[in-house]
Amino acid sequence: MSATDLRLLTCALCGGLATAVPMVSLAELQSLDDGALSSISGQTGITLELELNAEMDRLSYFDDGNGIHLENVRIGSAIDPDTGAFHKIDIDIDSNGHLNLGYLVTDRRIEFSDVTLDGTPGVGMGGMFFDHNLEGSLTLSPGGALSADGYTFDSSWTMTGGRIGYRTNGNEVFLDDMSMSVDAPGVTMDAVAGGLLFTAPSVTGSYNVGAIRYSNNPLNHGVSADVTSGLALPSYGGISGDFDLSSETTIGGGGRDGEGLRIDHSTVINSANFIYLDDGNPFALKGITGNYTIDDLRIDVTTDWAGREALALTATSLSGELNVDRVELGAAGNSLGSVNVNFLFQDHVFGGQSYTNAVYLQGGGHVDAGPQGLRLAAQWSLSQADLSYTEDGNQVIFSGLQSWGQGDVTVNVTRDETINGTRFFDGLRIGFEGLKGGYRINGLRVGDENAPLQGGTELLLALGFYPAYEFELDGHITLGAGGASGEGLTINSDIQIRNGSAALIASPYDEGSGEISQQGIWVTDLDYDLHVRNMTVDVTSDGLAIIKGEAWSTMDVGNLRVGDKTDGASFGRFVLQSYETGSSMTISPGGAGTVCAGGVGGDATTCAASGGVWEDRGGEGVTVSIKQVLARAVDATRRNAITWESNRQLDGAGAPINDSGMKLVLNDIHTSDGGDFDGDGIDDNTFGIQTDIAVDVYQTRVVKKTDGADSQGVVGNRGDEKILDASQPAGYRYVAAPTATDIENRPLGFAVQAQTQFKELSVNNVDLVHPTGGTQTAIYGVKLQNFDIQANLTATPIP
Amino acid sequence: MTARISRWYSPLLVVLVLLAGNNASAELSRMDDGALAAVSGQGGIYLSGDISINEMGGPIQNSYFGTCGEVGKKCGARLAYRLREDGGWFVLDDIRGSFSFEGLTLRVRHIDSGFGGDGELFNRDVVELGLPNVVRYHDVHFNLAASNTARPTDPGFQQTDLFSIEMQGDVMLEGNLLVFPTGNP
Repeated sequence: MSATDLRLLTCALCGGLATAVPMVSLAELQSLDDGALSSISGQTGITLELELNAEMDRLSYFDDGNGIHLENVRIGSAIDPDTGAFHKIDIDIDSNGHLNLGYLVTDRRIEFSDVTLDGTPGVGMGGMFFDHNLEGSLTLSPGGALSADGYTFDSSWTMTGGRIGYRTNGNEVFLDDMSMSVDAPGVTMDAVAGGLLFTAPSVTGSYNVGAIRYSNNPLNHGVSADVTSGLALPSYGGISGDFDLSSETTIGGGGRDGEGLRIDHSTVINSANFIYLDDGNPFALKGITGNYTIDDLRIDVTTDWAGREALALTATSLSGELNVDRVELGAAGNSLGSVNVNFLFQDHVFGGQSYTNAVYLQGGGHVDAGPQGLRLAAQWSLSQADLSYTEDGNQVIFSGLQSWGQGDVTVNVTRDETINGTRFFDGLRIGFEGLKGGYRINGLRVGDENAPLQGGTELLLALGFYPAYEFELDGHITLGAGGASGEGLTINSDIQIRNGSAALIASPYDEGSGEISQQGIWVTDLDYDLHVRNMTVDVTSDGLAIIKGEAWSTMDVGNLRVGDKTDGASFGRFVLQSYETGSSMTISPGGAGTVCAGGVGGDATTCAASGGVWEDRGGEGVTVSIKQVLARAVDATRRNAITWESNRQLDGAGAPINDSGMKLVLNDIHTSDGGDFDGDGIDDNTFGIQTDIAVDVYQTRVVKKTDGADSQGVVGNRGDEKILDASQPAGYRYVAAPTATDIENRPLGFAVQAQTQFKELSVNNVDLVHPTGGTQTAIYGVKLQNFDIQANLTATPIP
Repeated sequence: MTARISRWYSPLLVVLVLLAGNNASAELSRMDDGALAAVSGQGGIYLSGDISINEMGGPIQNSYFGTCGEVGKKCGARLAYRLREDGGWFVLDDIRGSFSFEGLTLRVRHIDSGFGGDGELFNRDVVELGLPNVVRYHDVHFNLAASNTARPTDPGFQQTDLFSIEMQGDVMLEGNLLVFPTGNP
């Protein structure tokens, strides 16, 4: 891979150039014995040994007079900042004219303390460090892929004891205990019309990161244990993987405006695996294949749309496809299924506004977090993507995903403190400022990508995913290190959405004849405040475990509309308030397995005897176990309540005025265990609402409900069964008495096996609120007890 | 108070169109699937399945609730509510049973034709719940009762069971339930 080769070139050149750096101190030279010499072909080489300790106050790059600077650059020992890193380089030229380099680097740190821009004094993007031991070889041969004027590189190297870290304002996040091996033979470099062409026919390797650690102690810098307490720094977990790639990269001069760089790149992922480990429990993406192409990426030092100086990365397009054969979760290695995504990022017009793909990197991060941080002024335009999920051979495709937006994303490594009234938490803080964007899905295709487009995207609501969403987003999500126990994540977050609109049900935005207005059920004029404290995320032996410490939210839907999202008729305003303590969720691989749908029985015979249908839904799928502990109201914000307001007065523009109409309020909804069993004077509340949901993609029986032609013009009688048939114009036909072959071609849908239990669910009071007459209580308490609801449901998209 | 309640209900008008032959027909007349081809917003979902409540009992085990095999205990669910601050509680007790259905559909539909000419005048979007033709009830049961406490385990609990209801067999539910807003939102 070209980036790898550039790094190797850098390594080799560092060795060579190091002799010219005044601050280099040479180590004691050792003689090579005959045995060692015999391994060097040609035996005409030289060996360089040195301790490299180089420092630069500033390393700058200028583009059209605009500078970007690496501050306090240092190359030296990772352990002792006053000593150098050991380098040994064997150089020889063999009889074929090949230059052979063998190198060994130990205890080397390459770092810079900050990245600054001329136009933004006083702030920086933060510093980075890279520690490693390196051993490898590089052969440089004359002749490239296109002509004899080029070069060919054969390289192989192994890195051990590595660390890569990012540091802002004294806080660090870093990859610790890294190792990596790469073999890249036959990499060629040729001069072409657009610049230099690098071709890497085969890049194979593997990597391992022992831990991803976080430090909030400014005295720590690239260490695994806290220098004050001696305790190991908390870890997000580790990662490992391997890859087999081939790639082609052209690097040329010329930015989007004036000077700069242009990069065109394509990579084919022949195979790859990725594993995230949390206390030894894996989340794995196995059997990754795919490709991606970056077209016309330009790098400039320039200004963004708001006139702020930045390092700009702008691309004409980014396209590709990614397949993951198995998504495994938990110690047993069971699979959720396989996923595939293809995507095309390119300029597109959404809602009458043109969007492109660009990131403008700036210094500072969140204004209150300190002078160091990263601000990414971003604009994105995903013009087309399809996402498919396949389990046990059954495929559902979410077709025509589009997304667009613009705004600032900030990145800071923060610690638990309040600065200028802004609350920060331990961890990597990702902030959102004025991020205005949206997404939409055109529809579903079931079976394969050629199947007809259907409705049913509302099935995603079960996963908390709206079929279409537009929003103005502010807030943050801070990812802390360490889960409920040992490694993992701790999440604190405050999110505000303003002027949002989201679809509960949405028709396609393009039925094949161009873009049209989506019709559906919409929550519009949406203001949504969401707060999460100390939510832990861990991969356990069974799956993914999420435990909410404390979470509260207010979802204020100004209008619930039917039809068009802007002018559809409204049911009124709905306000949903949620307050949970100690809620949890576990996601496990594997769906329902064998199911007796509509009957009772543990085998096919017993099931059929009870009137049920015995189904084997396979070993893949998803099971979600949720416990929602609805806490009693603490104040007007932290409570569980549902408010419906309608008949509001209208302002001069004809818009309804909130709190001017009649309200129905279900107040202080909460769960309980049914009594005070621990004697603390408060009802116990640990059981909550417990729900287990097993979801599979599975064939379902769909029958015609009326005689005659249906909405697609396919004729059938009431009670006929819908059978998929690619030879038919609509992709299906109706059959009165399906054969065994027909039954194998039943439509695919989502099969859900669910059980919900709660001991006690109460509504404290139900009020009617008049804008001037005040509140009248209609119901003085509702109490539901001892519920166990089980369901076997199939949900199938229909055209 | 009465005036306030009627004002509160006025924004929402729910039109229930039950097209079974023995039902009183609403003003909108029946549309077949072919006519639906002329309306936009066709996409939706088709639901089938079965739902059971407390088939084996619920999660509470105490002096009142137990498994369905325990003599002297109730294994069903319980719903209690009261309309006065210091009043007694209306109770639906020992709720259990199951029901199944096939072909409940949900979609958004724009109606601007059909229904004997009413559709053209109507000309708006509705939420359409396509009712399953048959809903099968299996051993659905509950008691209607009055109680002096919300919980059957509260001190001094007394309850009078008024009557029981059991449901078994098929219920025909044909046609569509159309839901749409009217009036000031």
